[in-house]
Amino acid sequence: MKKILFIILSLAIFTACERKIDEPSVTNGSADFTRFVTIGNSMMAGIADAALYNSSQKNSISNLIAEQLKLANGGNFVQPMINSEYGLEFPGSRPRMVLGYAVDCKGVTSLAPVPYIGTRDPLAPIGYQVNNLAIPGAKSFHMLAPGYGNGAFLAPPVRANPYYFRFCTEPTNPDFMVVNEFAKLNPTFFASWLGDNDVLSYALTGGVGDSITSPALFQMAMGGVLQALTAGGSKGVIANIPDITAIPFFTTIPYNSLVLTQSQADSVNMAMALYQLPFKYTAGPNPFLIAEPNSPHPLFKVRQMQPGELVLLSIPQDSMKCKGMGIINPETFMPYPIPSQYVLTADEIYNITTATATYNQIIQGLAATFNLGLVDMNAKFEELQKGVVWDGIKMNAKFITGGAFSLDGVHLNPRGCALAANYYIDAINQKYGSTIPHVNITDYPGVIFP
Amino acid sequence: MRRFTTLLLFLCLAATTAFSGGYQVGLHSMRNIGMGLIGTSLSYDASSLFYNPGGAAFVNDKWSFSGGVSFLMARTTFQPSNVMGQANLEHQINTPLYFYAAFKPTANLSVGLAINTPYGNGLSWGEEWQGRYLIQDLSFKAFTFQPTISYKFKNIVGIGLGLVYAYGSVDMNKAIPLQGVDGDGTLNVNGSTGNFGFNAGIMVHPDKGWSLGLSYRSKIEMSVAGANATFTVPQSLSTNFPASNKVDVMLPLPANLDFGASYEFGKDNQWMIGLNLCYVFWSTYDSLVFDFETKTPAVNRTASPALYIDQMIVRLGAQYKINDLITARIGGYYDPSPVSSSYLNPQTPSTNQIGMTCGISVYPTKGLSIDAAFLYIRGTERNGTFSPDNFAGTYNNAVYSPGIGLTYNF
Repeated sequence: MKKILFIILSLAIFTACERKIDEPSVTNGSADFTRFVTIGNSMMAGIADAALYNSSQKNSISNLIAEQLKLANGGNFVQPMINSEYGLEFPGSRPRMVLGYAVDCKGVTSLAPVPYIGTRDPLAPIGYQVNNLAIPGAKSFHMLAPGYGNGAFLAPPVRANPYYFRFCTEPTNPDFMVVNEFAKLNPTFFASWLGDNDVLSYALTGGVGDSITSPALFQMAMGGVLQALTAGGSKGVIANIPDITAIPFFTTIPYNSLVLTQSQADSVNMAMALYQLPFKYTAGPNPFLIAEPNSPHPLFKVRQMQPGELVLLSIPQDSMKCKGMGIINPETFMPYPIPSQYVLTADEIYNITTATATYNQIIQGLAATFNLGLVDMNAKFEELQKGVVWDGIKMNAKFITGGAFSLDGVHLNPRGCALAANYYIDAINQKYGSTIPHVNITDYPGVIFP
Repeated sequence: MRRFTTLLLFLCLAATTAFSGGYQVGLHSMRNIGMGLIGTSLSYDASSLFYNPGGAAFVNDKWSFSGGVSFLMARTTFQPSNVMGQANLEHQINTPLYFYAAFKPTANLSVGLAINTPYGNGLSWGEEWQGRYLIQDLSFKAFTFQPTISYKFKNIVGIGLGLVYAYGSVDMNKAIPLQGVDGDGTLNVNGSTGNFGFNAGIMVHPDKGWSLGLSYRSKIEMSVAGANATFTVPQSLSTNFPASNKVDVMLPLPANLDFGASYEFGKDNQWMIGLNLCYVFWSTYDSLVFDFETKTPAVNRTASPALYIDQMIVRLGAQYKINDLITARIGGYYDPSPVSSSYLNPQTPSTNQIGMTCGISVYPTKGLSIDAAFLYIRGTERNGTFSPDNFAGTYNNAVYSPGIGLTYNF
C-alpha cells in the first residue's frame, strides 16, 4: 500500500511541470538593426484619431517595428514624445477625437467621433535627437526643403512644419533639411513610408486646396532621400502607396445617400423642372447634387454625383441634414450643391489613381536601385478592404466597424498599426533573411466604444 | 512483487507526456484503464454493461457493482506561430466518473444500469491570452444513463442492448473583439440538454480462453435549445448585442464501433492479453453552430467549421494475477486526432496521442477489489491553424490521470 501511495505521490509531483515548446528563434539575418531610423509622414509618426498624442506615438507603426527589432539586437528607438493624451497645441491644430455621442441639428443623438478636450502639449523644441523622423503632413520633397524645421518659418508664409520643428536638430538653421538628419544618426537600418501625402493632401481637400506632386519631382525627391539614407551603408525597407480613395475618409458616405420620401422627391422634381435642371429624383436613395463649374446652365453650376464619385468625411453633416446641402435649401428653395472641397469627382479620382500608380512604379524602381526591401502596402490595403482576420479579429477598411482605422478615417488605430508593422516585418524577413517575430495583434486595442 | 512495482513505476515515469483525440473520454473503469482502456471482449464485472452489453451476461456473479473516479489533469502549452509568448492551460482537475450495477436473475440473463461520462471537455486558457476571441474557457460534460439487458446462449454467445440517455451541460466564455474603456466584450453561453441513443453488443467465447466482442454505441445529438447567451459589450453597442439572448447549439456525440479480442492463459488463467480496435465516427462533427434567438445585424447564426475525420484507436492491454490478493495491469494505445491541421481549434487542442496505462487491483476479501489505475497520455507536438479565425500555433500536451475505484462481485 505504501508503495502505491509513493507512486501516486511521485506522479503528482511529476504533473506539476508544463509542456515545453521551443520559442521561435529570432535572428537578424544580413541586416544590422543597432541604429534604426524611420521616415515618412503621419502614418509612421503615429497620428491617430486626428491627432498625435502620447499613446498614439507608443503605438506608432515605427515604434512597433522597433520593438520587434529589439528582439534581434535592435537598438534604442527614440520618438519625439508628446506629453499629453490630447495632442499637440499649435495654430491650426485639431483636437483628438474619441467615439462618443453627438446630437445633430435634428436633435437626434448618435454614436459619432467627438472632440476629446483637455490640456495639449505646447509646441516647443524637445531638445533631443530622435529615431522616428516621420513628420505628419510631409510630402516626399519636404525631406529636401531647406528650413522645414525652422521655427522662424512657421509664421506666414509657412514653409516649416510644426511637428518637425519640435525635433529638428538645427531649428534655427534656414538651410537645414530633413535629409541632413540622416548623417547625424548614421542609421544601420531604416523603414520608410513616404509619398502618401503627395496625393493624399490633394484628395483631403477634395482636389481643390492642394496639388499632386509631379512624377518628376517625386522621383527626384524619393531618390534624394534614399541616396542620403543609404550613404552610410544603411539597409532598409520602403513601403509603396495604397489606393487612398479606398480609406474610410472617402468611402463612408455613399454618393447616393440622399434618401427621399415620395412627396419630397415630387417637390424636388418640381423645383428642378422649374429651374430647368434635368435631374430626376425618386423615393429612396438619390445621388447628391454637387458643384459643377463647367455646367452649361446659365445660373446653377451643379450636377448630380455619378457612381464611383466620393463624398469626404469632412463634409458638415448638419448642413446636409438640415440645410439641404446636396439637394435644395429648404429656406430659399434654391439648389444647394455640395461644395467641391467635400467631393472627389471622377476626374479627380483619375488624377489620384494615375499618380499613385506612377509613384508606385517609381518606388519599386528605387527599391531595386538601392537594393531595399519593398513593403507592398498597396496590395495589403487592398486585402484589408476585402477583409482580413487575425486571431479571431475580423478587420476591414470600413469606418469604425472595420476595426483597423482610427476615428479620423485616414490613419490606422493601434490594432491597424500592429497589422501594418507586421507587413514591414514580413518584408524585412524576406529581404534580409532575418526571423523577426510578428507583433501580437491582440495586444493592441481597436476602436474604443463608449 | 517488488520487481513488478518497480517496473510499473518505471513504465509510468518513462512515459513523458495527453485526453482522447477529440472530446471523447475513455475513462470508464479502473480495471480497463489499467489495461490500455480495452474492454469490448471482457466480462469481469458490471463495467461490461458499458464496454459491451453482450458481455454482461458472462459475468459469473449474481450481483456486480463497480464505481470510481479519475482525476484528469491536462497540461497543454501553446506557442503562437511567429509571435513571442506562450500560453498554458490553467491547471484544473476534471473528474470523469462511472458507476455500474448488474444483476443476474437467471444464469443466462443480466440486467443492469451504467452511469458514466463518455464525452466531455474542460479547459481554461485564461481571460487575456492571445486566443481569447476563440475561447477563454469551456466546460462540457455529458453523463449517460444506460439501462441494459444482456442474454447469453450456452456460454458461447452473448448479446445485449442498452438504452442510452445522455444529459449534457455546457458553459463557455469567449472574448469579443469590440472594446470599451474596460477592455474586450465577452460572451457567455450556458445550457443543458438531454437525448437518447443506444449501445448494443455481441460477445463470443469460441474456444477456451478466447473472447471476442463487437459493440456499437450510437451517435447522440446534443441539441441545446435556448441556452443562455449573455453578451457583455460597451453600452453603445448594447442594442446590437442584447444582453440576455438565447442560443441554440448542437454538438454531436459521435458513434463508436468497437472490436475486441482477448486471450486468457496460464495457471488459473493468471494471464490475459487483449486488443481493442475502436472506430470513432467523428465525421459527424461537421461544424459548431450557434443560432441566436434574437437576431441583430451583429448577432446571427454562425457556423464554425470543425470538419472532424473518422479515426481508429488501437489499444492493447494485459493483466496478471500475481496472487489472490493482487492483480496488476498494463496497457497502451494510440489515438489519432480527428482534427485536421487547418481546423485545429484551441477549444479542443487535439493532437495524436499515445496513452500508457498501468493499474492494480487489491482484493481485501473475496469478491471486493480496490482498483487503481494511472493513465498517462503523451500528445505529439503539433502545428495547426484554425483557418476561419486565422489562429495559428503549436500545441504540446500531456494528460495525467490517476484514478481509484471499487468493484464488488458476489
